[in-house]
Amino acid sequence: MDVKQIFRKATESAGVSGYEEAIGAQIQEACPWADDIRTDKLGNLIMLKRGQGEGPRPRVMLAAHMDEIGLIITKIEEDGFLRFSTIGGFDQRVLLGQEVVVHGRSPLIGVIGAKPPHVQAPGEQKKAVKLEDLFIDIGYDDEKEANAHVRIGDVVTLRRDSVELQGSFLAGKAFDDRAGVAAILECFKALDSLKHMADVYGVATVQEEVGLRGAITSTFGIVPDVGIAIDVGFGDSPGLQEGETIKLGEGPGIAIGPHVHPKLHKKMVETAEEWNISYSLDPSPHPGGTDAYAIQVTQAGVPTILLSIPLRYMHTPIETLDYEDVKRTGRLMAMFIAGLDNEFVEGLTCF
Amino acid sequence: MKEVIKQLTEAFGPSGYESQVTELISNMVKDYADEVSTDVLGNLIAVKKGKENGKTIMFSAHADEIGVVITHIDDKGFLRFANVGGVGIASLVGNRVRFGNGTIGVIYSEKGDWKELKLDKLYIDIGAETKEEANSKVRVGEFGIFHREFTDLGHRVVAKSMDDRVGCAVLIEAMKQIENPTNTLYFVFTSQEEVGLRGARTSAYTINPDLGIALDVTLTGDTPEAHRMEVSLGKGAAIKVKDSSMITHPKVKELLVQLAEDGNIPYQMEVLERGGTDAGAIHLTRDGIPSGTISIPCRYVHSPSEMVDMRDVQACVDLVLAVANHDLDTL
Repeated sequence: MDVKQIFRKATESAGVSGYEEAIGAQIQEACPWADDIRTDKLGNLIMLKRGQGEGPRPRVMLAAHMDEIGLIITKIEEDGFLRFSTIGGFDQRVLLGQEVVVHGRSPLIGVIGAKPPHVQAPGEQKKAVKLEDLFIDIGYDDEKEANAHVRIGDVVTLRRDSVELQGSFLAGKAFDDRAGVAAILECFKALDSLKHMADVYGVATVQEEVGLRGAITSTFGIVPDVGIAIDVGFGDSPGLQEGETIKLGEGPGIAIGPHVHPKLHKKMVETAEEWNISYSLDPSPHPGGTDAYAIQVTQAGVPTILLSIPLRYMHTPIETLDYEDVKRTGRLMAMFIAGLDNEFVEGLTCF
Repeated sequence: MKEVIKQLTEAFGPSGYESQVTELISNMVKDYADEVSTDVLGNLIAVKKGKENGKTIMFSAHADEIGVVITHIDDKGFLRFANVGGVGIASLVGNRVRFGNGTIGVIYSEKGDWKELKLDKLYIDIGAETKEEANSKVRVGEFGIFHREFTDLGHRVVAKSMDDRVGCAVLIEAMKQIENPTNTLYFVFTSQEEVGLRGARTSAYTINPDLGIALDVTLTGDTPEAHRMEVSLGKGAAIKVKDSSMITHPKVKELLVQLAEDGNIPYQMEVLERGGTDAGAIHLTRDGIPSGTISIPCRYVHSPSEMVDMRDVQACVDLVLAVANHDLDTL
C-alpha cells in the first residue's frame, strides 16, 4: 500500500484537537504493518510492531500528532452567521475567504466572510481582519434554522484537498503533523523487510496543538526506553533567515538541544551517514513546542530525540513539503531502530 | 443551600492555606460519606462506596481562593504584597483584605495614573503606625483574602470566593442526596487550583478514577458590552466544551448533554477562551482519564463580588446526581 495516498487522504479528513477519533480509525484501517493496534483513553492511536528475539527487548516510541488546528463555534447570530474562536494557533491572516466544514449535527459546508473592500474605512485593508470580526456563513439566514443544525462548541475544519506541485512537492492542510504520522507508517513499512530487536510503538498522538496532551498520557502508558518525536520544522522560504529553517528536499532535520539526548543525536547522525540518507542539523535550543518535550519528562525520564520534516507555510491551509523528505524520515528511523540493541539502550542512562 | 454557600464563601482559604475551609466542609459531609480523609497537599477527599461492578468517579471542586501575600513591611507599617492566583488589579483599590488571624487591612494605591496601575504601586494599610506594630499583627509571607460578606439578592447571590466554594456547595448538596450509589464516588475538595491545578493533579493520581468531573465557575457574556460568550446567568448548568486547560472528551461531553436532556435539566454549552479547571489536570493524569466539567455560570469572576444564580446551582446539583447514578459502561 502507498503511504503517500494514505497521507493525502488523512490530510483531507477532519481531526481537530480533541476530535481525532475518525482520523485515528482511518489510519488504523490503512496500516497493515502493525502486530497490534489500540486506542487509549484519550484517543491516542498506538500501533505496535514487535521486535525479534527473546526479551527483554528495547522499547522505542515514535510519536507524531494526528490532530490539526481548527475553529470552534462561539455564537450563532440572529441572522444565522456563526462566530468562532480557534483551537490551536491559526495564522488568522489566511482565514478570510476560506471554505470550511462545520461539524454540526451533520457536516455543513460554509465560507468565512467579512466586510467587502468597497466599504472598508481607509487603511482597513492594510490590516489583517481581527478574529472577532470574522464569521462563517453556512447559508442559513436566521438563528432558528442555524440552531437546528449547529451548536455552540461545534468544531470547524478548513475544507481543502491536497495538491501535487512540481517534482515531489505536495501542498494542503494538516500536513502538520500528519506528515509525521506518514513517516511512522513509512518506517513500519520499511521495518517489514529489516531485522530489528526493538518493540516499536508508533503513536499517532492527540491534542499536540493545545499542549502536547496526548504525548503526556501515551508516554506514561508505554514508558519507552527511547522516544522519537516526529514533527514538522520551518522549511526555507522568502522572509525567513537561513539559520531558522531546514531545506525542503534535504531530508529531516535532526534536532540538537536540551530535549535531545546527546547519544541519540550521535547515533541518528551516524545512521544517516552510514545509509546515505540526507539530513540537516537542526539546532533546537528551546525545549517545548513538540511532543519530544512531553515524552522526555514522563515518569522517571525518557531519552528523547526530535526529527523535523521541513514544511513551508505552517498553520495555513497550504502547508507545503517534499514527500521525499517524509520517506527519508521513515527510512532513517527504520535503519536507526534496526541498529538498536539492549547494550545501547542501557548506555543511554549515563551521559 | 444558601446557608452553606454563605458559610463557605465567608471562610478563609487562599491557595495553600485551605484548612479552615476543608475543616468546615469535613464537618458538613462526614455524616454522608463512608470515609473522609485529607492528603499531603491538603485535598479533602470524601468517599461514597458503590457496588462491586460500579466504576469510580472523581468529582472535584476547589476549596482554595485567590488572595494576596505580604512581601514587605515598611518603616511606617504599610504592607506591600504580591498576588496569589489571578487577582485583577482593578478590583483591589479600596477593597479590604483579611489575614488568617483576622487582621483586616485596606488596599490603596500610590499617586499616579489609574491606567498605569500596577501591583507594586499598591499597598495595604492595617492601621499600624510603625513597622513594629504591623509586625505584631502580620508577618512577611502571610496570606490574605478579600474581606467581604455574602449577600442574598433573591435568585442571585453574591460573595467573594464563589469561585469555587459554590462548586463545593454543589458537591456537598449532591452528597446529601445520594444513597447507595452504583459507582464509587470520590468527592474531592481540592487545594491550590488557582495557582496551577495542583491539588487535583495529585489527588487524581492517587484515586485514578474512570471518569473525572470538575465543578467550577465559568465566565458569562451577558453583561453590558461583555466579551462575546454564549453563557448567561439563569440559563442552566454549563457543559464545558473547552478551555485553556482541556478539550472535553467528546464522549464525556455528549454524556453530560444526554443526561441533561433526559433529566430535563437546563443546560448551556460553554466555550471558555481563557482559563482552566481541575479537569485540565485530571485528564492528563497517568495514562489519561476521560474528564469533563460542569460549570456554574458566574459574573465578575475573581472580584470580591462574584455573582451566581441559584437556579443554575440547582441545575448543577441535578446534573452531578445524574452522572453519579449513571451506568458508565458506555464510556
